[in-house]
Amino acid sequence: MNLDAFIGERHARWEELEAAIKTARRGRLRTQSASDIERFGMLLRQTSSDLAIARRDHPDTPITEYLNTLCARAHPLLYRGRAVRVGSIGRFFATALPRSFRAAWPYITASLVLMLIGFVAGWIAVDVRPDLRSSLVPPSLFDQMARGQISTGVQDAPFAAAFIIQNNIRVALICFAGGVFLGIPTAFVLLSNGWMLGTVAAAVRLGGYDVQFWSLIVPHGVLELSVIVISGGTGLMLGDAILRPGQLRRGEALARVAVRAVMLVLGAASLLVIAGTFEAFVSPSGLPDGAKLAIGAAVGILLYSWLVLAGRKPRRRRTFAFDRPAETPA
Amino acid sequence: MTQLDTISVKTSDNVTLGYTVAGVGSRIVAQFLDNCVAIPLTIVAILLAGALAGTFVTTSEGSDFANAAIGIFAFFVYFGYFFVAEAVTSGKTPGKSAMGLRVIRVDGSAVDFGAVAVRNVIRVIDFSVVLVGLVVMFFQPQTRRLGDLAAGTVVVRDRTLITLAAAASPPPIILRTPDAGPGISGIERLGSFEHDALRVFLARPGLSPRLRASLSADIAKRLMERLAMPADAPERHWTPELFIERVYLQLDQRLR
Repeated sequence: MNLDAFIGERHARWEELEAAIKTARRGRLRTQSASDIERFGMLLRQTSSDLAIARRDHPDTPITEYLNTLCARAHPLLYRGRAVRVGSIGRFFATALPRSFRAAWPYITASLVLMLIGFVAGWIAVDVRPDLRSSLVPPSLFDQMARGQISTGVQDAPFAAAFIIQNNIRVALICFAGGVFLGIPTAFVLLSNGWMLGTVAAAVRLGGYDVQFWSLIVPHGVLELSVIVISGGTGLMLGDAILRPGQLRRGEALARVAVRAVMLVLGAASLLVIAGTFEAFVSPSGLPDGAKLAIGAAVGILLYSWLVLAGRKPRRRRTFAFDRPAETPA
Repeated sequence: MTQLDTISVKTSDNVTLGYTVAGVGSRIVAQFLDNCVAIPLTIVAILLAGALAGTFVTTSEGSDFANAAIGIFAFFVYFGYFFVAEAVTSGKTPGKSAMGLRVIRVDGSAVDFGAVAVRNVIRVIDFSVVLVGLVVMFFQPQTRRLGDLAAGTVVVRDRTLITLAAAASPPPIILRTPDAGPGISGIERLGSFEHDALRVFLARPGLSPRLRASLSADIAKRLMERLAMPADAPERHWTPELFIERVYLQLDQRLR
């Protein structure tokens, strides 16, 4: 077909598609009805088939470039992921988050092991050279609180909580994002957090006020350390996807894992709000030590029964492929 | 446009779409424009939080906490702006929109919540210490930063470079012989491909006469091969330029 005839015959729908693209606001189509969207889809399919014809018959002409730009702009307006609704947030916490936690168990275990290594190393270091404990124990809010140097008054508690929550979210995000660098920063953060806890725990043991210390740590620590271990696991997931992409290209392997990992880390980070609240109000409160430890244990049981049990699919009778009725084409 | 980096996306209709990748320069400008919104926003948030803290905090330890909390709060407001702006606009933040850029996934679909979450969490790393993101963008063939690589996204140009009117009416062709001449035998062997190629050649302005003559001779020779023209055909005595123009005019009539 002659180029002019080709344009003359089909330009009306290109112009219609162009007009529809122009109505898009904030990267979204503004359509009133389902039939408008259907119309848009039809126009896009027709125009992209025109593009294929133009590429074959009229390569390197301005019209081919025009059609390509037109289709390229229209494509992401039609093809898009599922929209986020308020209801999907509930479903996320009820099923998606516990499922991705269980799916990531090898990485989370590895993350836990790294933290335990740091903990044991810190403990041993203080045990072997107790004279050096003041330099071995890193100065931090954590151990200042452990030594009871900071008395958080009731009035300051909300600010202390805000500080603690954001500090922990930062640690969680570093753990996650460090995965881009093969998980090396992640491993470092896990080891150093373990070290911190190990040295402080060994130091207070030498001082002989174990129970007070643990009652100060446990109510929030169960949640907090779990979140750090989980986000460490997500960082290791990313690093592993880069190191061992399998059949995929490294970039694709990383992108495939990253969405699951970021959901896990954001879900876990939201738990830190609860942990921070406990840290500001329960841990330093005047409750008896036994009650604080019991609260910590209860929180731990609730957390892990949720992560381990929630969102499991009901167990089905095992069926074989030939037992199922043959699929009929729709 | 071949000098610009492009990515190819195969659609579900099995048509390949070419997207022009945004350059580092336009992305930096878009980032600057977004900062013009994000930084004032962050300052307002800091002032509000400071006023709030001032009314409640009584002790000096408390104000230490409050300062630290406000600092990290500001960090979240600043990075939160990009997160929310990208999620709400499907990858066209005000700055990107002003520069005619858009974030899409590498399969050509719009960014979803997950992809926006990934690329904005990793934005913190891309902007940290040495602007790792910028260095990666310089060396990555598709100008993607770490967050783009992790999220499977790419920033592309989302602007019409060419209008239908301009594309439909290419520059006028320069003809010296208005008549199509006697019918050339074997013209049916040629099609729209040759027609378009000749049109590009004939519409080309500013060729020096010598260059035009030598190109014409070359093109005429190839056309004669395609026409399977016998050695004693009368058309061989026409000048190459006349021959080309007549072939074009006759093709134009045939294909109309």
